[in-house]
Amino acid sequence: MTFDKIILGAGLYGLYAAEKCGARGQRVLVLERDAAPFTRATWINQARVHMGYHYPRSYSTAIKSAHYFERFCKDYGFCNLTSFDQVYATSAHFSWTDAAAFRRFCAAANIRCDDLPPEKYFNPGQCDGAFLTTEYTYDAQILKKYYLEALAKLPNVTLLFGHAPEGIRAAGDVWQVKAGDTTAEAPFLLNATYAGVNEVHALLGLEPFKIKYELCEIILCTVSEPLKNVGITVMDGPFFSIMPFGKTGYHSLTSVTFTPHLTSYDTLPSFPCQAKSGGRCRPGSLYNCNDCPAKPASAWPYMSQLARKYLREEYGFAYSHSLYSMKPILKASEIDDSRPTVIRQYSGAPAFFSVLSGKINTVYDLDEVLLHDQ
Amino acid sequence: MTNKEKNFISAVVYLHNCGQAVQPFFSALNEQLAAHFEQYELIAVNDGCTDNTLNELRRFAAEGLQKPLTVLHMSLRQGVELCMNAGQDCAIGDFVYEFDSAAMPYPPEMIWQAYQAALAGSDIVSVCPSRSRGLSRMFYGVFNAFSRTPSRLRTEAFRLLSRRAINRVHAISQNLPYRKAAYAASGLAMASLTFEGQAPELASGRVSLALDSLALYTDAAFRLSAGVALAMLALTLGELVYTLCVFLGGGHPIEGWTTTMFVLTVGFGGVFAILAIVLKYLSLLVDLVFKKQKYLLENIEKL
Repeated sequence: MTFDKIILGAGLYGLYAAEKCGARGQRVLVLERDAAPFTRATWINQARVHMGYHYPRSYSTAIKSAHYFERFCKDYGFCNLTSFDQVYATSAHFSWTDAAAFRRFCAAANIRCDDLPPEKYFNPGQCDGAFLTTEYTYDAQILKKYYLEALAKLPNVTLLFGHAPEGIRAAGDVWQVKAGDTTAEAPFLLNATYAGVNEVHALLGLEPFKIKYELCEIILCTVSEPLKNVGITVMDGPFFSIMPFGKTGYHSLTSVTFTPHLTSYDTLPSFPCQAKSGGRCRPGSLYNCNDCPAKPASAWPYMSQLARKYLREEYGFAYSHSLYSMKPILKASEIDDSRPTVIRQYSGAPAFFSVLSGKINTVYDLDEVLLHDQ
Repeated sequence: MTNKEKNFISAVVYLHNCGQAVQPFFSALNEQLAAHFEQYELIAVNDGCTDNTLNELRRFAAEGLQKPLTVLHMSLRQGVELCMNAGQDCAIGDFVYEFDSAAMPYPPEMIWQAYQAALAGSDIVSVCPSRSRGLSRMFYGVFNAFSRTPSRLRTEAFRLLSRRAINRVHAISQNLPYRKAAYAASGLAMASLTFEGQAPELASGRVSLALDSLALYTDAAFRLSAGVALAMLALTLGELVYTLCVFLGGGHPIEGWTTTMFVLTVGFGGVFAILAIVLKYLSLLVDLVFKKQKYLLENIEKL
């Protein structure tokens, strides 16, 4: 089978690229190793449509986020939950940012930041500033439905699930990709596999991204009435966030110290739990953590305790269930806490690109790559 | 034991060059907590250790510790009060143990007994030795005499605080220059347990801390000054009476004695009276700056 583009990974970045190119009449093949799209990081994260508040130590990331925020809301507003108060607070202790610095930062990035009394939400002395901001949360399942419908209308786009690439080689000016029962050819290959990015690089013998891998847990909670229409993020340090999870009615609870369960600095990440996965998972072929029998026990006792220390009693929440996924973090981004989208081109003819981005609304960064052949 | 306590416990331990004590202390502490609590965390505050304390701590953590151990490394040596403030800010527990030293002169079971005492209705439980050192005794004597807090302070080996107590002291003042006095001044129920023995030797820098806390939590200076002024006034009256008596008796006091003594006593009386007024203003200012809440409730009961 011959295509114009082969895309690895059916997360948001993969399907965005498929739709963009399919709409232009190109023949596109998407290969996804799981049985459905959006089964990993696109779905399993805080579901935050970033406005930039999260990056008070990296102006460039903040300003870029704010810019993309509006565009994302315009294009994908149907999947956003917008009717809640997003509260950012600066912790009084152990924070790299204080209230004054956060105000300055928001003014510089030109994003909303209205002072709230910290005592409204937090126990005495825990936070030195609280701010009402504008930020939304997206619902990955609604977004998935949208993409599946949009792509179904494009006969020139093929989605193959349960197909992990097993071999990739250049034959003249096309890539030959073998995945299960399929062998496909295209002059353009996009690696949008996120946590799998280095697995594809290993198949091609390319230099890996310098990544730290974290096995992360997102806890979904039911919340009490006062917390229903409120999202709370305490920053910037070993803190937590509890905010609506798309339109699911749940809140996601995450914390900087307890959300990552295991960390690997290996190029192809190895974890002790892989031995217990029944052969499903190994370095070089990461299984879906959320479906894995060897996923770690929930850190709920710790995360809930941390959140309760900060939150006043009336903002109650209770455990519903946990979601697990693998999160790659570019090593360069630890000091300034920036999460730039990295797009690297490794060859011209045939073309090979890898993309790695920690945020949903910077998906537009892909445009320059997708217009590569025009 | 199958029915472990559900409350989350944090244990904050101050460490300064105590390599020998780390392993036995943390083992005993961890054993006690593991036996009685389902969820807990350990927090060690490293106040500029230069010996093998940290290595010992890492070795302990590597020997199959199941629960999180957080180590706070202070930027430079800052003394036990600031360090324990940091440790307490980091702790997430419903109850927080504060160990100002890694020495354990008390039986480990007292850690659990302190918790039981807290559940019996005390927000703050301190575990105290039966004997204390001479200097500490003197300090607590002065402190208790001049402080208006309902609870008496004593030498303590460690203490247990409820989250409510922590929230309360932080609502009163942001920083706790002297935690023990802040807890005593919080107006919440306190209990103390006593063990046979002496408290561990504490790190240096206690004298200036003692003076600071006398200034912040007691009105010793004002009362001293006012006391001297009153004494001078009494002396003046005494002289007046004495001079009159001598006159009425037909005699004459020594030339110049009366005027000299009057000038001295009235003068010093005036100086100390003004000093007392100045100190009153100063303590009001300290109150305004240092304390954010004026009154303290223990609880509200409806009849």
